Amino acid sequence: MLARDIMDTRFHTLKPHETVAQAVKMFQTASREEGKKIFGLIVVDEADRLVGMLSMYDILLFIQPKHMKIWGEMEDLEPDRLFEDLLGKVKGIQVGDIMTTEVVTIGPETHILSISDLMIDKHIRRLPVSENGRIIGMVYMSDVFYHMLTQFLD
Amino acid sequence: MVFIERRSVLSGMLVQEAMRKRVIRVSRETTLSDCTNRMVKNKVAAVLVTGEDDRPVGVVSKTDLIGAFYADLPIEAAAADIMAAPPLFCFLDDSLESAIDLMHARGVHRLYVSGAETDRVIGTLAYPDIVGLLYRYCRACGKSVSKVRRGTEDETNSSRLRVGDVMTTSVRACKTDETLAEVIEELTSHRCGAVLIRNPADHAAGVISKTDLVIAYKHGEKTGTPAKVIMRHPVLSCDANDFLSVALQQMLLKDVQRLFVYKDAPARIVGVLSLSDSARFRSGSCRACTSGRLIVGV
Repeated sequence: MLARDIMDTRFHTLKPHETVAQAVKMFQTASREEGKKIFGLIVVDEADRLVGMLSMYDILLFIQPKHMKIWGEMEDLEPDRLFEDLLGKVKGIQVGDIMTTEVVTIGPETHILSISDLMIDKHIRRLPVSENGRIIGMVYMSDVFYHMLTQFLD
Repeated sequence: MVFIERRSVLSGMLVQEAMRKRVIRVSRETTLSDCTNRMVKNKVAAVLVTGEDDRPVGVVSKTDLIGAFYADLPIEAAAADIMAAPPLFCFLDDSLESAIDLMHARGVHRLYVSGAETDRVIGTLAYPDIVGLLYRYCRACGKSVSKVRRGTEDETNSSRLRVGDVMTTSVRACKTDETLAEVIEELTSHRCGAVLIRNPADHAAGVISKTDLVIAYKHGEKTGTPAKVIMRHPVLSCDANDFLSVALQQMLLKDVQRLFVYKDAPARIVGVLSLSDSARFRSGSCRACTSGRLIVGV
């Protein structure tokens, strides 16, 4: 069982110059059209080359106040007002500003055991499959999981 | 012999109490574009450049990136081309006071922290972290306003420091149609973190900070672009009569390094309150702290 056999060839992409708001919309569109919850999208340049990956984690990390510990100690705050101000920071920020630029990819001939090993080792839940510099599919942890374990269920 | 020793709330505190353990690292080959990405995402003003065996070799700060922008260096240039070397260090068990003195003397906004192994970086110490510590200390203090809110209101309020007591009164400003190159010149010649942008009627129209400039550089803006294109508005500000504690809280929670200070009306900016000024002030937010700073010894 190889990456080629289990990868999902329907996937959505982002461009580095798109805004965070556009990225959030794309998360929703991708989840609806691919029929699964999408937590991360690959980012490609104009020539369709992979330049990064943007996950929900990247966006949350950016929005999170740096001095969060102090928040926890204040009971006399109006959290809603401050929350609005925090979201205001997102204006003018593009996908390329906060995406993860070091992305691990696999080839289509990678064996499922190597894929699961990579996912465990590097704490990754999704891996783009790359062939001749182009992304041809995505392998998600759930695909690996069910392909490896469904036979035990019967 | 009688002597007067100047002390602050920070006396006796160590670097390890205020430092952050998360250090954002890049390699010599990392592009300036990717350095910017790490800074924006992690909300830090500098990244550590490491070489062989993860040893620290330099620092790339927002100031360095702005210099590269000004010099028209391509955003794909390498960290090694512009980094400042070597990084400045303090030790885990240095006093916070000596660390602040070092930062002030060398004109930097952060120090890297090392422990027993002097070539290993285990944390960073920056002004906002020190203010954060002061602020938490202040809230926990027995004289804290939040604890004595009921009762002696008048007495408490008169002892609380106000923004006007601590702010810097020189405000650096540019006009909306001045270029980013002129904004950079204003920022670097006065070593400040942000300039106010005034419209032709001389009212505060927006702000450009180092972060805004670094993001503009990454987005491919040119240094000839007028200030009004990238300035942020509204201007985050507070009243000179506001309590210092309230202003500090706002800065820490909104992740901003400074608030502009107005008097009478929001368009009349008279000063700036920055987190680094507040850290150098070395006091909590009421006079109980400042009076405790003078200790008479024999």
